Amino acid sequence: MKLREVAYSRSGDKGDISNVCVFTYDDGHWDTLRRELTVDRVRDKFGDLVKGDIVRYELPGTKGLNFVMTEALAGGVSRSLRADPHGKAYQSLILDIDVDFGTAP
Amino acid sequence: MTKTVKIGSGSAYSTDRLDWAQELADSGLVNYMAFDCLAERTMALAHVRRLADETKGQDERIPELMDRFAGYLSRGGKMVGNFGAANPSAAADDVVRGLRSNDVSGVRVGVIHGDDVLDHVLDQDLELPEMGVTAGQIAEQVVSANAYIGADPIVELLDEGAQFILGGRIADPSLYLAPIAYEMGWELDDWEKMGTATLAAHLLECGTHGTGGNYVDPPYRNLDIVHLGFPIAEVTEDEVIITKLDGTDGAVNIGTTKTQLAYEIHDPGSYLTPDSTADFTNVTVEEVGPDRVRVLGATGRPRPDTLKVLVGVDQGWKVVTEISYGGPGCLDRAQLATEIVAKRLEPFQESIDEVRYDLHGVTALFEGQLPGGAPSEVRLRIAARCDDRATADVVAFESQYLWMGPAGGGGVSTQMAPAIGVTPALIPREDVKIVTEVIDQ
Repeated sequence: MKLREVAYSRSGDKGDISNVCVFTYDDGHWDTLRRELTVDRVRDKFGDLVKGDIVRYELPGTKGLNFVMTEALAGGVSRSLRADPHGKAYQSLILDIDVDFGTAP
Repeated sequence: MTKTVKIGSGSAYSTDRLDWAQELADSGLVNYMAFDCLAERTMALAHVRRLADETKGQDERIPELMDRFAGYLSRGGKMVGNFGAANPSAAADDVVRGLRSNDVSGVRVGVIHGDDVLDHVLDQDLELPEMGVTAGQIAEQVVSANAYIGADPIVELLDEGAQFILGGRIADPSLYLAPIAYEMGWELDDWEKMGTATLAAHLLECGTHGTGGNYVDPPYRNLDIVHLGFPIAEVTEDEVIITKLDGTDGAVNIGTTKTQLAYEIHDPGSYLTPDSTADFTNVTVEEVGPDRVRVLGATGRPRPDTLKVLVGVDQGWKVVTEISYGGPGCLDRAQLATEIVAKRLEPFQESIDEVRYDLHGVTALFEGQLPGGAPSEVRLRIAARCDDRATADVVAFESQYLWMGPAGGGGVSTQMAPAIGVTPALIPREDVKIVTEVIDQ
């Protein structure tokens, strides 16, 4: 299934760094989210959009993950020539990742 | 009785709408309204306006703002904002003019100067790590440098009785944190409390993004968002409540709050602002009523010793041209058009810093990372950054000449603007000299 069926997301920008956070609708899916949404899977999906590192942070209180991607915005909003210089659409791209949440939702 | 400070968000960027913010102010629900008016590029563009006219460079909405909020101010409401942008003095003039024209008297205006650190950045030849150069190496291109300043001068001005406070590059959360700290009597070095205040501030600083605006995604997340409400924080000694005005669309729920919580933070254990190193790791979000959530569990550690500076860099001219192709073979014709323009621009490549060709509907957002089927129409987007206006004009001309083939190109549009980039640097806190001023009107 696609991540979008079980989770939601938001992307933000600071300079050339993009962060994309992901939360599951059901807090009970927290462990599955941590198992399924690895840095490797995110890197596969984003490919050459991200030239730098991808670091995954956990938010155990809100049961979320935050992916911080460097050199991810072609120079950042003010210098990039991209159509979406903020990476606002990254929050949608991450939800296209294939994940296995068993029988959920 | 438990002390509560109620603060509303009034703006999240330089051209945010003021009508819904006025609704919140006029509701009587809040004692404070805070307005973030600056995104990363806004400051540099404001400096360009100031260079052209020394009475410009401030937020351009102040006349409308004063008309809309005269009533709120007359009732004693307080306002804080980074309306100064590149020119706090000019912003203060506009505010005083607006108070007079609306017959509002007895308002003490506080003005914060000193975020402009351009001279210092050049003198110290600061490193610009994202660009891999020092400020001195590109000194001729450096047009601005502003430090993100914190809550201290706002608290100082509130203590002096200021009712309307403005400055330049005051950090987004500091605009909210300062009134919370002042009203609650929290010391600015009570790091745990600063963590809590930063949490409340962070949940407000993006305006209607935080009340459902950037949340809707049918069929999974449905909300009416036609007439959004700006968010409100109610802060007490024990908790932070986030809510919004009754009768407005959007929502304040677990989903809107969690996504705003993690918006533009990196390590959730170390969210750096001028006021604290906040730790949101163990924050919890709980719905306690309709459009009403309780957030708990933020902590904090001492604020960073350095302040972030955004340095504005003149990068010549940016030009973007688009043209559409449709029907059978549209993708092939758009790709052929790309090759043709690239060849026609070859003689000018010395003066073209970067050029890129994207196809809306195919590669423009994700560069092909999300392959789709054959589109029925595509829009070719040609974007270039050039050393000078003359070269940008050539790019525009050659892109527009796609009128003459390949077949069926239509709907040409062109945008042309000075390319002002911003890039971060760090500066020791003590090198930023803040000065406050009080104007009684």
